[in-house]
Amino acid sequence: MSKSLSKFFLIAVAAAMILTACGPTATPEATEVAVETEAPADVVTEEPTPVPMEPAELEIWVSGRVSEAGPPPEDWVAYQIIQDELLIDLELVLLPSSAGDQDTKINTAAASNSLPDLFFVSRDTLYDLVQVGLVAPVDDLLPLMPVRTETHYSDPNRNALVTFDGQMYGLPDPGQIPMTDGLVIRQDWLDALGLQAPTTLDDFMTVATAFTFDDPDGNGQADTYGFCAFIDGSGLSNMGLGPRFNFIYGAYGVAGVWNLNSADEFGLNARDPRFMEATQFIRSMVEAGVIDPDWPTLSKDDFRAGWKQGQCGIMSENFAALANRSNYAAFDENNPEGEWVVIPPPVGPYGDSSEGVIIQTARIYAVSQRAIDEGKGPAIARLLEWMATDGYMLMAFGEEGVNFNLDNNGYITLEGIDPELAWNTSAMQPLTQLANMVYIFTDVELQARYQSHTSLNGRTIEPLAFLAGFSEQPWTEATGSAIINPPANAADFTRFYSENLVQFVLGQQDLNEETWAAFLEGLDSLGAADLEAVAKQDLIDAGFLR
Amino acid sequence: MDTSPTSPPASAAARWKSFGSRERENLRKSLRKYRWLYIMLIPPLAYFVVFQYVPLWNAQIAFKDFRPLLGVWGSPFTGFDHFITFFHSYYFSELISNTLIFSFLKLFVGIPLAVILALALYETMFLRFRTIVQTIAYLPHFLSWVIMFGVLLMLLSPGEGLINAVIKANGGRPIAFLTSPEWFRFVVVASDIWKETGWSTIIYLAALMAIDPTLYEAAAVDGASRFHRIWYISLPGILPVVAVITMLRLGHILNAGFNQIFILYSLPVYSVGDIIDTWVYRQGILEFQFSLATAVGLFKGVIGLILVVVSNRLARRIGGAGLY
Repeated sequence: MSKSLSKFFLIAVAAAMILTACGPTATPEATEVAVETEAPADVVTEEPTPVPMEPAELEIWVSGRVSEAGPPPEDWVAYQIIQDELLIDLELVLLPSSAGDQDTKINTAAASNSLPDLFFVSRDTLYDLVQVGLVAPVDDLLPLMPVRTETHYSDPNRNALVTFDGQMYGLPDPGQIPMTDGLVIRQDWLDALGLQAPTTLDDFMTVATAFTFDDPDGNGQADTYGFCAFIDGSGLSNMGLGPRFNFIYGAYGVAGVWNLNSADEFGLNARDPRFMEATQFIRSMVEAGVIDPDWPTLSKDDFRAGWKQGQCGIMSENFAALANRSNYAAFDENNPEGEWVVIPPPVGPYGDSSEGVIIQTARIYAVSQRAIDEGKGPAIARLLEWMATDGYMLMAFGEEGVNFNLDNNGYITLEGIDPELAWNTSAMQPLTQLANMVYIFTDVELQARYQSHTSLNGRTIEPLAFLAGFSEQPWTEATGSAIINPPANAADFTRFYSENLVQFVLGQQDLNEETWAAFLEGLDSLGAADLEAVAKQDLIDAGFLR
Repeated sequence: MDTSPTSPPASAAARWKSFGSRERENLRKSLRKYRWLYIMLIPPLAYFVVFQYVPLWNAQIAFKDFRPLLGVWGSPFTGFDHFITFFHSYYFSELISNTLIFSFLKLFVGIPLAVILALALYETMFLRFRTIVQTIAYLPHFLSWVIMFGVLLMLLSPGEGLINAVIKANGGRPIAFLTSPEWFRFVVVASDIWKETGWSTIIYLAALMAIDPTLYEAAAVDGASRFHRIWYISLPGILPVVAVITMLRLGHILNAGFNQIFILYSLPVYSVGDIIDTWVYRQGILEFQFSLATAVGLFKGVIGLILVVVSNRLARRIGGAGLY
């Protein structure tokens, strides 16, 4: 019997070998192409050497423009154009929508050295991949896509995010528009209770308390909260309670995790006693019951469901999430008389106020070293350049005449378009999933993406007016914090920082000078001082600190 | 030369040849007779080889600074550095204690409840009732933890939850079950029991069905009450199965249920909810430290192996039978 088992074991091993042999491998042909098409080392010249167009297969992983929409259909017209005109057989994969899931997918692919040719990646993960040599420098690709380089990769701050040891290891496309999220208040609730919009933190607490306990919606039920938020923090630049609470820290002059005012002052804002005072203020809000009690476990979607139902009186929200037609509709239906207005961030006890931090972000696309080794660099540059030029409108808005039209001023219009085929309908969203690879926030884009609309009671809702309102408020510049590299124990460090802040705010820990000092000691025992020293030098080198 | 079957062969080689030939013939017959069973065996064997044994090769990265470009073999050797990093990590003791607390609670609360439910179902005389209860009890097993989290939120949320609505209606203060360190472990264990106890009863019910019914008949004739029959026949009858299940679960004692806790935990309850696997996810996977993640996995495996071996010896010494 043991012999028979041995034989079957051998059979099973043979089967396993056959199965594993079925995995993808590089073909000899691909290697030959790589040798023939690899860009010459001296390609960085004033007059780029024309590279002969060679057929290529490209796999790209991107984050779709609309997370809940699917990928473009197989008969997407762009696939054929890219095949015919660029000689590229494109395989497109949409990454999961959450940052953690994206990192997981990319890191597991990286561990098996099977990263795609071009992929969207967070800055922290890019840093890790650069350290292990899986991501290629892209400096040599830039001359191959002059228009895109001019429109997408000419911002020194963004380029600094992807520059390591003097080389660019990623393509930093324009990220979010800065200053998109700000404080808004229910004007109809203020009117109903005869209150004025708050200008100081004390006013803020008074109004939030009235919104919570004085039945501002008049339905006779205790179903409203003065302030709504959720924990929106991740990474070294957003640890702790996250951006939704930044206006409170801003009122104490310590918005954000890092103090980037000057090289002398640089460090964790938590070392500033005012940071503890701001945390105490938030704790007092929790104790007073003016915050939605579910806030520590709410997801972004839950948070938004709450204000759409009419539970929230004050919040920090994204202008598009608040006012775009598709998002506003549910709120409008539940609260026909509801009216959100922008308010300035409240002024704190020392006369400070700030809406939050400006961290100029980038949507980073990395090129795998494997793709460069296989000679796919020119094809990647060709594809990206096409997207920024001939393919721009197709990527951003679909087919002209089918999904959109242009008016006499060159702006996007839906006149003459079948409503079911309009570029911004849910059904057509898969056609513009790559739009984030081409958007550069021109007037045409902004007008098209954030169109005004009319509420049920006839008011005009203008998303861009909210954006303009937020932009007028005081903000704290902190772009440099995005280039602070994670330490080896990043998970423990960020957990310790965030967990303690949440515990202070929720009353799970006493909050006084003694416990705060213990908190800072804990941070130091996890290497905070070393992290600050390294980060300071990096920021000085990158020109973010002086 | 005498070649009769009863005569000894002339030499060892001839004896071996004769023996081998007979064995080969027996093997052929056996293969022919049980060919379909052997064919059915191939896919699971292939599964184990491909997905359980071949990956063992990669476990060596626990002792290396894994560099994907250099491959598993070519990555530089670092010895026990990653193990030491884990043992010296800031939250090591907390991770170990949280993991063990969850595992032991689930084990020693979950198994008795499943046994009790199985006994109750087995003893009921109303078959229709048993079927309904079984179906309802199994149902949560098929729900993912994401859906279970939604259900728990609807029940336990301090703002909108049903249970808190009852508490508030009775003049009490709402309880933050999911974000309170005092309540979080209870929620995790209770929700796990809710989800899995029904499913766990299947094996105990099968064990109960395998008990010789004449034992019950004889006991009834002798005047044994229902409780006595359970105590002296049913429980001893399924005890070996309970022992085996417990031993198997001990092998996974450092797996406290990643999916469940990853979905349920949040910053306010990290101190009582963060387990080894959630830490490995954050530090190993998200921070691209696969060698560290593998080292922790290996550590868990070794601990599990030791526990299985020790508990098996104990089971054999105490009960006379073990897992192997």
